[in-house]
Amino acid sequence: MSHLSEEQLDQIIAEEKARLEPPLNDWQTIAARAREEGLIRESPSRGWASSQSWVQAAAAVLLLIGGIAIGRTTIGLPSATQNTASLPSENAVPSSVPVVDAAQPSSASATFASLEEASATLDRAVEDYKRATEFLAANNSSGRPGDSAAMYSKRLVALDQVFNATESALQTAPHDPVINQYYLATMGARAATRQMVARPVVLRGF
Amino acid sequence: MSEMPIDQLDLKRAIAGDERAMQRLWSQHAPHIDAVVRRLCGDPELAADVSQEVWMQIFRALPSYRGDSQFGTWAHRIAVNRTLNALRKIRRLAKLEVDIEDDSAMVEMDNDRTFLAESIEQAMTKLSPGARAVFVLHDIEGYTHGEIGEELGITPGGSKSQLFKARAKLKKLLANLMDDSTTVAGKGKAHVAPV
Repeated sequence: MSHLSEEQLDQIIAEEKARLEPPLNDWQTIAARAREEGLIRESPSRGWASSQSWVQAAAAVLLLIGGIAIGRTTIGLPSATQNTASLPSENAVPSSVPVVDAAQPSSASATFASLEEASATLDRAVEDYKRATEFLAANNSSGRPGDSAAMYSKRLVALDQVFNATESALQTAPHDPVINQYYLATMGARAATRQMVARPVVLRGF
Repeated sequence: MSEMPIDQLDLKRAIAGDERAMQRLWSQHAPHIDAVVRRLCGDPELAADVSQEVWMQIFRALPSYRGDSQFGTWAHRIAVNRTLNALRKIRRLAKLEVDIEDDSAMVEMDNDRTFLAESIEQAMTKLSPGARAVFVLHDIEGYTHGEIGEELGITPGGSKSQLFKARAKLKKLLANLMDDSTTVAGKGKAHVAPV
C-alpha cells in the first residue's frame, strides 16, 4: 500500500477546508426546538393570520382607525361633526386642502371584492388620515389648560422613536402592509406634532 | 474565515425571539458551523442531533455576545465546545488522555489494509474519536496545540503526537485517492485535484 506525501495530504486538507455542504438540519427543525425552549417568542411566518394578506390589510385599517380614536380620546379633540360646527370662520378649510366628508357613512361595514380594492381603499384612507392630521395641526387652535409645548415635545420624542423603529422594520420587510401603515401614520403624526412644537402659543393637537 | 459583519438589528431581534432574525443568522452561519460539527462527530445522524444542540446553545448565548470577535468565530467556538461535550457524554471521547498514550490512531490496522478511502471525510471516520478531534481542530479549523489541549484536556505534546499519528494513518488510507486522481479526475472525485 503506497502513501501520500505530506504535500498531497495538505492539498486534500486545503480542499476539505473550502468544502461547504448544506446544513445538517432544515430551519423548521431548528425553529421547532427553539420554540419549545421559548427562544422564539414571536413567529411572523407562523399562523394563519400572518400568512393572509387580507388580514394584514384589515389589521392596518384597524390600526389606523384605532390610532385616530385613541389620539382623539387622549387629547380630547371634539368629534368631526362637533369640530365642524364649532370651528370659527377663520378656521374654515383652505381651498387648497382636500375636503373629507365627515358625514360620509363609515366604511367599517364595507366589503371588498378583491385585495386590490381593499388596498386602494387603504391607501386612500392613509392619505386622508395624513391630510386630516396636517389640517388639524394647522387649523385647530382651540386650547385647553392641560396642553403645553412640553407635552408636544415629549410626544415628538416618542414619535421619533417609533418612526426610527418602523423605518428599520421597513428595511427588512419593505412590502409589509402593517409596517407600512405604522410608518406612514407615524410620519404624519410626527409632522403634525412638529408643527405644534414650533408654534409659540399653546395649541391643541389632533 | 472571512464573513460579513453581523447585522446588529438582526442580533437584537434574535435576542428578542424574532424567528426571522434567528433564521437569517442560522442561514448565514450554518454551513460553517455544521461543517465542524459534522467533521468532529464523523457520524451524520449524530452530527444532525448535535447540531441542533449547538444551535440552541448559540441562540441561548446570544445576549452574551459582545462583538469582541466576529460572530462566526464566537459561534464556531460554541460549536466546538458543545460538540466535544456531546461526544464526551456518549463516551466517544472517554479516556482520551489514556488514548493519547496509546497508538490510538493506528488501531484497526488490519482493516486498513482493505479499506481505501475515496474522500478525506470517509477516511476520517477510520480515525479514533480523539485523533479525529485533534486532526479536525488543528489541520482544518486552525486551532493551536495549546488550544486543543485546553479543549480536550490533554497536553500540547499529546495533541502533537496524536496529530502525527492521525496524519500518518490518513496518508495511508487516502493513498489510492491520489493514485486514482490522475486517471479519474474527470469523473467527479469531489476532493481531488491533480498533483
